[in-house]
Amino acid sequence: MASAHSDVTTIHVGGAAAPPVARRRKVRLAPYLLILPAIIMLLLAMGYPLGWQIWASFMKFGLKQQFGAPPDFVGLANYVTIFTDSTVWGVVGRSLLFCIVNAVLTVVIGVALALLMNAVNKAIRLILQIALLLAWAMPVVAAMTVWIWLFDWRRGVINYVLTSMGFNFSNYVWLGTAMGLYFVATVVVVWMSVPFVAFSIYAGLTQVSEEVMEAASLDGATSFKRFTSIIVPMIRPVLMIVALLQIIWDLRVFTQIRMLQDSQMPLDSDLLGTYIYRLGVSSGDFSMASALSIFVLILTIVFSIAYVLQLVKEDS
Amino acid sequence: MKGKIAAVALGVASALALAGCGGTTPNAPSSSTPAGGASSAASVAQDITFWVVGSDTPTKLREYLVEQYKQVNGGTLTIEEQTWTDIVTKLTAAMPDAANTPDVTEIGNTQSPTFTNIGAFSDISDMYDELGGSKLLQSFVEVGEVEGKNYTLPYYFGSRYMFYRKDVWAAAGVTAPPATLDDFNKAVVTITEKNPNGIADFSGFFIGGQDWRNGISWVFANGGDLAKQGSDGKWTSTLSDANTIKGLKQLQELQLKASMAPTTAKDQSPWLYINDTDSDIVKDDAGNVTETTPTSLAAATIMAPGWAHWSIGDLVKDTAGKDVREWNTEKFGTFALPGNDGKPAPVFAGGSNVGISAASKNQEGSRDLMKIIFSAEYQKMLGQNGLGPGNQDYVSSLGDDEFATALIESASNSKLTPAAPGWATVEGSAKLEELFQKIADGGDVTALAAEYDAILTPMLNGA
Repeated sequence: MASAHSDVTTIHVGGAAAPPVARRRKVRLAPYLLILPAIIMLLLAMGYPLGWQIWASFMKFGLKQQFGAPPDFVGLANYVTIFTDSTVWGVVGRSLLFCIVNAVLTVVIGVALALLMNAVNKAIRLILQIALLLAWAMPVVAAMTVWIWLFDWRRGVINYVLTSMGFNFSNYVWLGTAMGLYFVATVVVVWMSVPFVAFSIYAGLTQVSEEVMEAASLDGATSFKRFTSIIVPMIRPVLMIVALLQIIWDLRVFTQIRMLQDSQMPLDSDLLGTYIYRLGVSSGDFSMASALSIFVLILTIVFSIAYVLQLVKEDS
Repeated sequence: MKGKIAAVALGVASALALAGCGGTTPNAPSSSTPAGGASSAASVAQDITFWVVGSDTPTKLREYLVEQYKQVNGGTLTIEEQTWTDIVTKLTAAMPDAANTPDVTEIGNTQSPTFTNIGAFSDISDMYDELGGSKLLQSFVEVGEVEGKNYTLPYYFGSRYMFYRKDVWAAAGVTAPPATLDDFNKAVVTITEKNPNGIADFSGFFIGGQDWRNGISWVFANGGDLAKQGSDGKWTSTLSDANTIKGLKQLQELQLKASMAPTTAKDQSPWLYINDTDSDIVKDDAGNVTETTPTSLAAATIMAPGWAHWSIGDLVKDTAGKDVREWNTEKFGTFALPGNDGKPAPVFAGGSNVGISAASKNQEGSRDLMKIIFSAEYQKMLGQNGLGPGNQDYVSSLGDDEFATALIESASNSKLTPAAPGWATVEGSAKLEELFQKIADGGDVTALAAEYDAILTPMLNGA
């Protein structure tokens, strides 16, 4: 796909290369002007809260301060509390694990579905695509409500079906343990994010040229070999960005966990998102919540920096 | 390049969408500046906003408030409905801001201490007697009081009582409602063991493991408390108090021997388990039933707020052909949870307080609205709609049916959670759910009580 894209770009650049150099310089301003509103918006919408968070993370800022009391500067005390609190480390560990398991599952299933879409005939592909689009288009809250019903301990379809198949799942409480809750959350998160991955990868696959594949198979490359040596390198840029997005999305997962917890909340089931919410919004400890948010931001950057650098490199 | 711009544009769009969530509250423009020296009786017309929480306040009552306010003050009253799930968040964000604060707001009685202690409400001690004074429900007045000054006052109260299956109790050989708490504890264990209908995972008394709001009734009934205030004004968590431990142990016994509810369950819709057949009904846009998931009788007794009776009974069709529940006195009954001292057990009282935002620019108009809310007429209207009126002189307006009787009886001895400044923090942290689940799982009550005392005491005193 990358090569195909650069081909297109070359043609365009080639076309634009005809006018004299002087004119080209003038035109160069346009992209920056066009991107300016977006950058201003980003700074306003993200910069202010981020700045406030950094400031608040060095203060003692609770409900009293929200109602006008002057906050006290506490330096790194909030961060010290975070790093010495075993609860926080439990949450961080669970979040990372949840994130990796979900991102890997989503990408693997997404790629598999994309390959399937590429292989089947038009009618079946259309059915597959519609099914994927429906899952993708479903609002999270509506989808969660349905999934919670499906997994209901007493009236859920899942327990009913498993029990009818001969397994004893009668009145089994799926949301009774943290592991059970994560299992349900994983099913839902993967189900909801696979369509995006599948479509992106499928778009990438359509750019893999038929000739190359044909030549490879004539040379005796097995389909597995063709996948690893031709398809994967060619769709690498898409694969990378999709994986990066999944990691970021799955690290800050919130709605799904929160809604499951609203239904039933097993012990120690908080992930970073819900834990920060509990600290800040529910308990009114805004400074600790800010400090933890900054920590998550750093964590996200550490996780994704290698990816981003790689992407930038490939782009240039 | 194209893709990148699209990505940034998407980012901006979502940033805008997120930003849009914040400022949905329309400002209540103050229509005029207060005239200096005007007496409160002839206050200047002010347009004010009143936040009610949940749908408890019926439309008729809202219309009455708007009309009366127009007459008394001349200004416009806008009533906005908030939800219980995020009222604390919304109040936290809006109340400090004069441009966005509601002028008058309802607030959950357990949430009131946190907000009154940080100065979110105006001091209305001077109107206290005019609005009902000692006739007001005193346990609610206390949660709106700081150092002898009144900030929020009782809006309405509800109470929790027991709903039980007369037929199942009788089949298990227990014919009369229990007279004491000990009787109750024994009866529901017996019913669970006998399980007369042979139902899998049957509960004599269905109570979710994390359901501390109903569970604390056993603590209160044994003379225990969740927290106490010392002479220095500091709050201490008193879970390790001998009486509290006794109550928690009784509850643990019930959880282990009488309730088959998941230990992770909260106090959501327990009535599903006491009806013969019940179902979650899914309808399509045209109103046709597309899916019903049946559930069936699984509990002989539940504890729930009074309004739960609308969801309990035989399934019948109303005149419009819709499914409704019809109370059947042969099958269903109610009683207030008894104490061991001849009085009803002190259960946790539900309900709300109401107060004026300290940041409101329309203090005069807000005071006019408070007078209307605490007028005899409006207090009676609350009672007629099944809400316990804040002024005890008008409790008789609740009527004298089975539900009103159980409500009044159970509320007569009801109690509130501690009026500590950090109580909202305690609730928000979900530590009580954790503790009660661990107890329901069969944990060592004494050790757990000590562990959670250490966690809760600093929270109670606020940050």
